[in-house]
Amino acid sequence: MSVRLDGNVIILEGACRVEDAEPLLGWLQADRDRMVDLSNAEHLHAAVLQVLMALRPAVSGPAKDPFFRDWISPALGEAPVGDPGSRAR
Amino acid sequence: MDDLLQHFIVEAHELIQQATDDLLALERAPRAAGPMDSALRAVHTLKGSVGLFDFAPMGIALHAAEDLLGALKEKRVGIDAHAIDSLLACIGQAERWVATIEQTGQLPPDAAEEGYRLARVLRSQLEEDPAQAADAIPQIELGWIEELRARSGNAASKTQDAPLVAIRYTPRADCFFAGDDPIALLRSVPGLVAVRLSNRDPWPPAAEIDPFSCNLRIEALSSAEPDRVKAIFRFVPDQVSIHEIPSAAGLQAPGAVPDAGRSAGARTLRVDSARIDQLADLVGEMVVAKNALAHLSRQFEDGLDRKHLAQGLHASHAAIERLVAELHGAVMDVRMMPMRDVFRRFPRSVREIAGQLGKAIDFSMEGENVEADKAVVEGLFEPLLHILRNAVGHGAEPELVRREAGKPEKTRIVLRAYRDGERVSVEVEDDGGGIDPAAIRQAACERGVASADDLERMGDDEAVDLIFAPGFSTASEVTDLSGRGVGMDAVRSASERLGGQASVRSRLGLGTTIRLSLPLTIVMTKVMAVRLGQDLYGIPLEGILETALVPAARILPVRDAEAFVWRDRTLPLVRLADLLAIPRPPEAPQNLKVVVMAAGDDLVGITVDRFAEKMDVVMRPMTGILARMQGVVGTTLLGDGSVLMILDIPELIG
Repeated sequence: MSVRLDGNVIILEGACRVEDAEPLLGWLQADRDRMVDLSNAEHLHAAVLQVLMALRPAVSGPAKDPFFRDWISPALGEAPVGDPGSRAR
Repeated sequence: MDDLLQHFIVEAHELIQQATDDLLALERAPRAAGPMDSALRAVHTLKGSVGLFDFAPMGIALHAAEDLLGALKEKRVGIDAHAIDSLLACIGQAERWVATIEQTGQLPPDAAEEGYRLARVLRSQLEEDPAQAADAIPQIELGWIEELRARSGNAASKTQDAPLVAIRYTPRADCFFAGDDPIALLRSVPGLVAVRLSNRDPWPPAAEIDPFSCNLRIEALSSAEPDRVKAIFRFVPDQVSIHEIPSAAGLQAPGAVPDAGRSAGARTLRVDSARIDQLADLVGEMVVAKNALAHLSRQFEDGLDRKHLAQGLHASHAAIERLVAELHGAVMDVRMMPMRDVFRRFPRSVREIAGQLGKAIDFSMEGENVEADKAVVEGLFEPLLHILRNAVGHGAEPELVRREAGKPEKTRIVLRAYRDGERVSVEVEDDGGGIDPAAIRQAACERGVASADDLERMGDDEAVDLIFAPGFSTASEVTDLSGRGVGMDAVRSASERLGGQASVRSRLGLGTTIRLSLPLTIVMTKVMAVRLGQDLYGIPLEGILETALVPAARILPVRDAEAFVWRDRTLPLVRLADLLAIPRPPEAPQNLKVVVMAAGDDLVGITVDRFAEKMDVVMRPMTGILARMQGVVGTTLLGDGSVLMILDIPELIG
């Protein structure tokens, strides 16, 4: 299992797979204040990522994996801003 | 040509064929759900694949076709001949475009205009405002690309002058169930310079989130070559749009010059995997047989006596011989393909020809599963198309005439294939007007195909056979279909090139059947070897009726030739030595060994010195300078390394 709960922190480690999305969602739905630790996550399956994007828990990192750090983390760190332009349609 | 484009071309041909089959099926049975779904799927997939390349006009036309099909399916629009016609026109154009792409790598210059025209025609049936509908299609707003470029900041400024590829990937909601991980796909994109992850639809409340329904939209810029990016997304063509952005200067580079050196590409052979498994099994057995031989040689070194060695060698030889025969058979099987691959192209052709000539045709096909060698099947397309044209153009009578003759209004044309022993027969049968021998005689005389004397001597069947004569065409009016300067003589020569024969059977007022009889394979030939002195020659077995011993006393001199009586028929006797200009043996034998065989329509006896064995050979046709050599069809290598010449006796007799 690449997702586990340690106290009030959800820890994602290694390559997170599609089946990790359900426990992650369950823990976050149960307590929206839980933190998510991504520092040892190497890859997030899109299903896992979209749970984080939808619920926007506080995340700690930064991830060590360069792809993760450069391209995925920004989507989780930033506050949701209304996208101008294309999204409007 | 890159791999992706090649795959596209192969796939496009199949999808186009599928869509055509389905549309024709829909025309016959407008309420059938199967063909409707299948056609929609084919067009949808094709449109998606087209989107991977810079073939926008094709995408526009196919998009309109898909919308019309969708409306037909939902019964918002009725299925009529006009709808089917316009859909077939669109698919037909797509097919021509794919052919052009195959040759040049891009669409022809007039494609944009044609694409919009087709889309307008298709959309006009949707009763929508065509302009509005056309706008809704591919004029993708490119704003997001600019935003992304702005976001990428430094990364992009470094690559300011390099062209970029913009990717917008909206995974299907159920993509996780197909095993897709869009983020893994994104990770494999080389040269990322900007990424934006967002949600396709607004996120539902926390309690209602379905973690397994994908709601992501991924936008990215990459500095990698477009083809590499496209290759990554090749399995999700319907979910991604990829745009090439020229360098930041914003200048559209002139269209890439297609590589003129590209050939049409080697034809690929699709093979049933079971046949490959069978080959692999045989190779495995071959290895076992080889090992047995190694074992035998070790035993020999250890002092195995000659008798046992000979036995072992015989057993080994028998095993390997069997395996080689099976391997050969298996390889031939790989080359076998069903007639369907060629036949399925005809329903649309017949429909088009019938439409142009205003004939009512009821076309059907039988025996699509009959298999023959790839070269035979593929070589049949042209001759069959010509025969079908003739059947529609000349065979089918006007409806009024048919009604008076008590026939159904639609002319029945059947394209049929069936196995006929070692050969395969392909026929086109119509119940049309038939061929009038008198008209043939007159035309043949006028066109100097045969002399009046000859024509008088000919039976009706023989006269009708003149349609295959070079320079003969019975078309009383030249249509743009049949009057292309290729007549039935081209059909006969095409089938002869494939090792076949063409024949015609016709009854005036009742119909015509043109039949092509072809070998199953053009690779293996059965030959009978004969000896002349010390030399060995091969004669193709297919022409031989039987071998006979004829006592020298029964040879009848006929002027300066010879004849003999065989089964109450008098046959000319020809000495093979004379044909080959080799001196006859000094002493005449008591009994002549005669091969009775067909030469054209007649039988002839050929004398040889000795009969040798029958064998299956892989015949190599004569090539290069030897190709012009008279009287030899090909050669084959014998077990002892010598070359066996295979004679074309009819040609030698001349």
